[in-house]
Amino acid sequence: MAYTQPHPRLSVLSTSSQSSVEHLSPTASSTRFSLPSAPSIQATLNKAAPHRPNIYDRNLNKTRGTEVSASAFAFLFSEVVQYTQKRVNGINDLERRLNTLGYRIGTRVLELMVWRAESSSKTPKRETRFLPALMSIHTQVWKAVFGKAADAIEKSVENADEYMIIDNDPPIERYISVPRDMSQLSCSSFTAGIVEAVLDGLGFPARVTAHNTPTSQFPSRTTILIKLEKSVLDREELMKQ
Amino acid sequence: MSHHLFLLSPSDTPLYSLTHHSTKPVPSTTSPLASNLPTWSTSAFAGTLTALSGASSATQHTTGGGVRMGGGQDRHVIQMIANASLDAIEDTMRKENTMYLKSVDKFNEWTVSAFVTAGNMKFVLLHEGKNDEGIRGFFAEVWELYVKTMMNPFHTAHSTIRSNVFDSRVRASARKYL
Repeated sequence: MAYTQPHPRLSVLSTSSQSSVEHLSPTASSTRFSLPSAPSIQATLNKAAPHRPNIYDRNLNKTRGTEVSASAFAFLFSEVVQYTQKRVNGINDLERRLNTLGYRIGTRVLELMVWRAESSSKTPKRETRFLPALMSIHTQVWKAVFGKAADAIEKSVENADEYMIIDNDPPIERYISVPRDMSQLSCSSFTAGIVEAVLDGLGFPARVTAHNTPTSQFPSRTTILIKLEKSVLDREELMKQ
Repeated sequence: MSHHLFLLSPSDTPLYSLTHHSTKPVPSTTSPLASNLPTWSTSAFAGTLTALSGASSATQHTTGGGVRMGGGQDRHVIQMIANASLDAIEDTMRKENTMYLKSVDKFNEWTVSAFVTAGNMKFVLLHEGKNDEGIRGFFAEVWELYVKTMMNPFHTAHSTIRSNVFDSRVRASARKYL
């Protein structure tokens, strides 16, 4: 149901960009975001503009070790989910939108993370094989995004094209309790989007989804399910020889 | 000696292109006709001559009227070479795990070197003569600039790069390395 269109990502991007333009206009936004202070913000911005540092002047390594407060992120993510939920019909749609938002982050995480790791090297390397790439998502990407490695990687027994990354306690869901009637919703779809972007960027196109797989020990345990496209498996097979 | 740089998105849409005329001397590998001409004219004609020597494009000769357009009129030849090299680049990037792919393709006097970032962004550079270390340094700087562009939330992987600062920074490192 969720993937009826041929290019779900493109269509989501285009519709969301249209709708975001609508929501930028103060008249369309809901009353709780009344903007009496908007002109003054604009004025201060204009005044400050000449002194604002250019993005090209900034050092990419400066923020390497900095961390974002978990509560600040929890508030932001809560707003993200609420904002998204108002504009969708159905859980599938909501998950797909969260996935798209994560995708935009994933493309940046990948470029920045690899730049930080490789730019000092004389011969920077790319990942060309799938399993090392999956390992680096499990450790490096998770460390860059969540500050810790994921808990496990599993390979599906039934399907050769399915891999799973397991997080016992995903930080982005720590302050979310999903209502009973939406129990199949996993807000880690956002994380799934990040993983999908990283895999896409590295040249392993896949469909990535998030699922709740609670255990008695870890009630918020989440599985990120990676379903690889056939081309990836074919290529891996060729490279083995 | 001129250089042509193209930045291509993961779906091979050109996001940025640059033509750079190096002041460094033309190496002796270029056509004998070009080396017989005085230096100011070789740099002006080099692009045209090399393009004409292989591709039968009906380009009209603008005899150096002071305006050094260089590869201006054989722009379509340059673009064709850059496009054609994409096949070679994609073949090589599956086999090699380095980002910098030097001399992946050749067409007449043009050598194509490429740089593939982690996110599958491709930097394609057409150059004459050999300058591996210079090009490596140039690509490293373009890479950093590109990552900074990418950090901008208003930039997507498929939007063209129009920033003036980006342009001037790339030009500066082209002057430095090429």
